[in-house]
Amino acid sequence: MSLYEILGTLETGFIFGIVALGAYLTFQILDFPDLTVEGSFPLGAAVAATLIVAAGWNPWLATLTGGVAGFAAGFATAMLNVRFKILHILAGILLSISLYSINLRIMSGPNKPLLMVDTVFTSFEGLGLPGYIINPIFLGIMVLVIKLLLDAFLATGWGISMRAAGANPAMAEANGVNVGNMKLYGVGTANALTAIAGALFAQIFGAADAYMGIGVIIVGLASVIVGMSILPSRTIFLATLACLFGAVLYRLAVALALNADFLGFQASDVQLVTALLVAIALIAQQTGSFRTILRKGGRK
Amino acid sequence: MIELSEVHVTFNKDTPLETRALRGVDLNVPKGQFLTIIGSNGAGKSTSLNVIAGHTKLEVGHVKIDGQDVTNWPVYKRSKMLSRVFQDPKMGTCEDLSILENFALAHGRTRPRGFRYAVGASMRDEAAEQLKILGLGLEDRLNDKVGLLSGGQRQAVSLLMAATGDTKVLLLDEHTAALDPKTADFVLELTKKIVDDLKLTAVMVTHSMAQALHTGERTIMFHRGKIVFDAGGAERDNMEVADLLELFKREQGEELTDDALLLG
Repeated sequence: MSLYEILGTLETGFIFGIVALGAYLTFQILDFPDLTVEGSFPLGAAVAATLIVAAGWNPWLATLTGGVAGFAAGFATAMLNVRFKILHILAGILLSISLYSINLRIMSGPNKPLLMVDTVFTSFEGLGLPGYIINPIFLGIMVLVIKLLLDAFLATGWGISMRAAGANPAMAEANGVNVGNMKLYGVGTANALTAIAGALFAQIFGAADAYMGIGVIIVGLASVIVGMSILPSRTIFLATLACLFGAVLYRLAVALALNADFLGFQASDVQLVTALLVAIALIAQQTGSFRTILRKGGRK
Repeated sequence: MIELSEVHVTFNKDTPLETRALRGVDLNVPKGQFLTIIGSNGAGKSTSLNVIAGHTKLEVGHVKIDGQDVTNWPVYKRSKMLSRVFQDPKMGTCEDLSILENFALAHGRTRPRGFRYAVGASMRDEAAEQLKILGLGLEDRLNDKVGLLSGGQRQAVSLLMAATGDTKVLLLDEHTAALDPKTADFVLELTKKIVDDLKLTAVMVTHSMAQALHTGERTIMFHRGKIVFDAGGAERDNMEVADLLELFKREQGEELTDDALLLG
């Protein structure tokens, strides 16, 4: 791999790091397997791209608005589960397929190119560094800031209530925590993060696309699983760090698999490679051998 | 402090599994009273506790706490006034959180939580001071996850947590049943001390007749969804397990056969 390719991998790795933080919040903290992200990732992209292209909005504001739309989508999923007792996985599927239609409406078509318009990344062009260097740096700082904000939130009164609501709902309720509300805001926030990641992804690759959400759930989950099975996750600080690390590592693994000529993969095999990697990580986690292999490998 | 009036609860209504758990229960627990509830399996003692806490919906009847009708209040809302210790030590504390964070969570029961850090210096001092009472050395392990503690330690911590804040009513659901005898005694003594010190209104469900008679000030007995026996004052002070059995036989015209009740 060339430096250019590695920087490109870091770039997407950091973007999916934001998705991974959302997945950590739903899967790990709230114990709520949330499939809405398949729809909220392209939703963030569609909202941001349409606002930038059609309405001429400031790209930062457009990205943030994409995040707000994502929050609404996650809130709706949690509402179906909390208020109407629909199974959480089914609620997520319902939202993500309905978002597919909604995204087509928002973009008035299957995609929205972002060519010759200002994006958040054009803000850095005056700094004298080429985009392929400055963009990963910016995204790296951004994902770290989000991580630290999430860490801080999870240590507040609300944060520990959310953690208790996921880990021991009966105990949380007995201590005055409105468990339903925690799910509404938690799943909403996770999808806001995912939508922001989608908006950034569209801006860096020059288009929002109705199909760009396929596999996002697995990417987020893979990052959390890979990260937490390799790195220690005793504290929230370490756990979220492991998620970010997992996101980058996962992108790197996919890039390597696709690049290795002897394996014979093509770019279109990316979903297959993803599924294989996640399966391997899950099996390794079950047998507990992943970390031992790495440790022994390091000792040799 | 707690008033149940004409409470009926039926589980699995209109199905072959229909069970009438409570059949017209009237109960009035005055402020500051320590009530113990006894009864065999399925008699309705735990259901009545769940009715007070808000876990079980009523078919008919009303629940009042501190003069307010809370019949339709959800659990989390009622918990502003009452706290609860569960039978399972794993239920009362959150094992993914540290001891200190568990205290902070309980602290938020009666006070606003907000977006400030849950664990401040004052919280640390307060928790350490309370944990010292236990004499288990937990005050030096404030940042340990609760999952690392033993069942007895967790139950003791649950009890302290239930007593934080301006709680008015303490509900104890066979909270010593899952502990070994020595730890059970310790937790029971701690319970008596806390209820006494904070002048709480307390309701304790227990399987053991002896424990029911020797704890608190008043004992009621449930049988088939009804209160069949209610004793307090001097009458109860002079009562032993054998008297209770005799009384039950006379009133109900049948022998009490639940081993757990007799042996406990």
